[in-house]
Amino acid sequence: MATGNTYIEAVREALLEEMKADERVFLLGEDIATYGGAFKVTAGFLDEFGAERVVDTPIAEAGIVGAAIGAALMGLRPVAEIQFLDFLSCGFDQLTNFAAKAHYRWGAAIPIVIRGPGGGGVGGGPFHSQSVEMYFVKTPGIKVVAPSTAADAKLLLKAAIRDPNPVLFIEHKALYRAPALREALPGPDAVGVIGEAAVRREGDDLAILSYGAMVHKSLEAAAALAADGIEARVVDLRTLQPLDDEAIVEAVRRCGKVLIVHEDTRTGGIAGEITARINERAFEWLDGPVTRVTAQDTPVPYNKGLEAAFFPQVEDIEAAARRLAAY
Amino acid sequence: MKRFSAYEFPEYVDWRPDPEVQAGFAATITRDPERAALIDALDDDALVDLYRGLVAARLHDVQLKRWVKQGVITKAWLGSGEEAVTVGSCAALGPDDVVGPMIRNAAALIERGVSLVDCFAGYLGTTDSITGGRDLHIGDPDKGVIPPISHVGDLVPVMAGCALAFRMRKEPRVALTWTGDGSTATGAVHEGLRTAAALGAPLVCVVQDNQVALGTRMEAAYRGDFTAYGAAYGAMLLEMDGNHVLDCYAATKRAVDACRAGDGPVIIVARTFRMGGHATHDEREARELFDDAVYRHWGQRDPVGCYETWLVEQRGVDRARLEAVEAEVAAQIDAAAEEAKAGRGVREPDPATVTDGVYAAEAG
Repeated sequence: MATGNTYIEAVREALLEEMKADERVFLLGEDIATYGGAFKVTAGFLDEFGAERVVDTPIAEAGIVGAAIGAALMGLRPVAEIQFLDFLSCGFDQLTNFAAKAHYRWGAAIPIVIRGPGGGGVGGGPFHSQSVEMYFVKTPGIKVVAPSTAADAKLLLKAAIRDPNPVLFIEHKALYRAPALREALPGPDAVGVIGEAAVRREGDDLAILSYGAMVHKSLEAAAALAADGIEARVVDLRTLQPLDDEAIVEAVRRCGKVLIVHEDTRTGGIAGEITARINERAFEWLDGPVTRVTAQDTPVPYNKGLEAAFFPQVEDIEAAARRLAAY
Repeated sequence: MKRFSAYEFPEYVDWRPDPEVQAGFAATITRDPERAALIDALDDDALVDLYRGLVAARLHDVQLKRWVKQGVITKAWLGSGEEAVTVGSCAALGPDDVVGPMIRNAAALIERGVSLVDCFAGYLGTTDSITGGRDLHIGDPDKGVIPPISHVGDLVPVMAGCALAFRMRKEPRVALTWTGDGSTATGAVHEGLRTAAALGAPLVCVVQDNQVALGTRMEAAYRGDFTAYGAAYGAMLLEMDGNHVLDCYAATKRAVDACRAGDGPVIIVARTFRMGGHATHDEREARELFDDAVYRHWGQRDPVGCYETWLVEQRGVDRARLEAVEAEVAAQIDAAAEEAKAGRGVREPDPATVTDGVYAAEAG
């Protein structure tokens, strides 16, 4: 069994360290104080930091996001937990119209982090499994971060808290306690960089671009491909807004073929945007059509069999990669 | 004060005090002993300052309407007839408090010391205002004014968050915002009040009930009673006469004091009336929403005229002093409007900057 810390412990450690390092940092959200959070990310925080810095709120996402914005305007560094990111729709207006536009409109930095579990594959059904990222990626003024590893969860959450902008921090709930993701976490002084992708596997035959839980399925697929001599470069985007254009172009230049994998729905998913950017910046290096493996254009179904048919599976990625490699 | 027949509502053009209405105005002052004591404590200078605020608010709107008629701007959202709510509430605040005005509370910017040039430049979209032409909703955080967005109601949770920060840091500061009878229907107002109450935030939320939301009368949108909000949300509730600057001052002062004592949030219901349209473009339609008698009733309760009459007749303030204040304010408005207008075509934002500043750059 792997040693080290899980992804959820990494989230927790980032919050702990930032709260200790900066008294302006405080947490607010539903059931986060006494109850310790629906996923227990903040268990024990109330005892350590007190009720002034670990604030239970009513079930009011507009209230939570709005209060975070106001507190940020008054000089604090709020980190708001949305119990499941599906519910951020209820606070959408506050985030997209108030927070996202404040700096452009009147130069006001809104240093808030909206964090919580996103993504599916755990039988959560239509309202506890959604990929909400693209609602916000398309809204200028918000940064969107979606780490796939425990170390990145810690490093990038710390970066998000220190960032002067509104940051949506998407933790993948299927990764929270995944044993395979256990790793030694960086120390308290290490902070990540928002906007930089990471190469998780070297390869020159094709590049697989992905983020979140799909990075791991892509790596599984890449391992299967390698058995047949197809070497896939797997790039973990880590940040969706801003996208690491250099890493994307580099992947095209090295491999000539690009497969984009995401568990978000197909239409309006980040794959479309990446494809357009490749056309604009790296078309000459393409040796095949930019291809995507995504979830279906449907709500996320509850039944296990339906859910499996909805989300991309390792075999789907592998099959698409083989077709692209043979193109 | 001087009336402007070309720009003001008909009921205001030939406004004369009505003895019965003025008696009611005077009675309101003494109705509540605590408020009466607060008002009694105001010296003549403070009272004249309130008058100055009302006149500035009115003349600000007259200027905007002049610009609309001249074609300088296409429309403006006026606070005329509702000035007392804004001016009275602002007078109860201290320099470290913050406000979140609706666009109809533009007088709050003036009260907080935002320059008149900024106020007018906001409409013109030149670089003079804080938004540099990117939005006409302006404010100034250095003066404690958070600019609104068009989504009415959304300021309530934000101002609750400002207030939460004060509570957390144990600062004796208060956040105040206004929300219309119309915007109380939004989830944002509900969530903001629920959150503020749950967290004990020193927030004053003034429900500015002007009886109409754009083109729909209040009764068509709400069958309840705003004064029940106190019990409903678990907050102190006060009522104030929204056309009475002294009552608005005194009620807000009580609310602010309660917040500073840790008893926030406080909801204040201010009954007033929108004398104009939603904006300057639909005044005719607005006139059709209510009987003429309703306009006459509220027109007679002009917050500027009633207060001016009280100052002179009841308080014995020299009319010449008020005229001097009015002349001074009028000159300031004229000068600011001219200066702002001179920025057109000169202090225009550089189109090359259109993509600048979407994100804050510095880590801090």
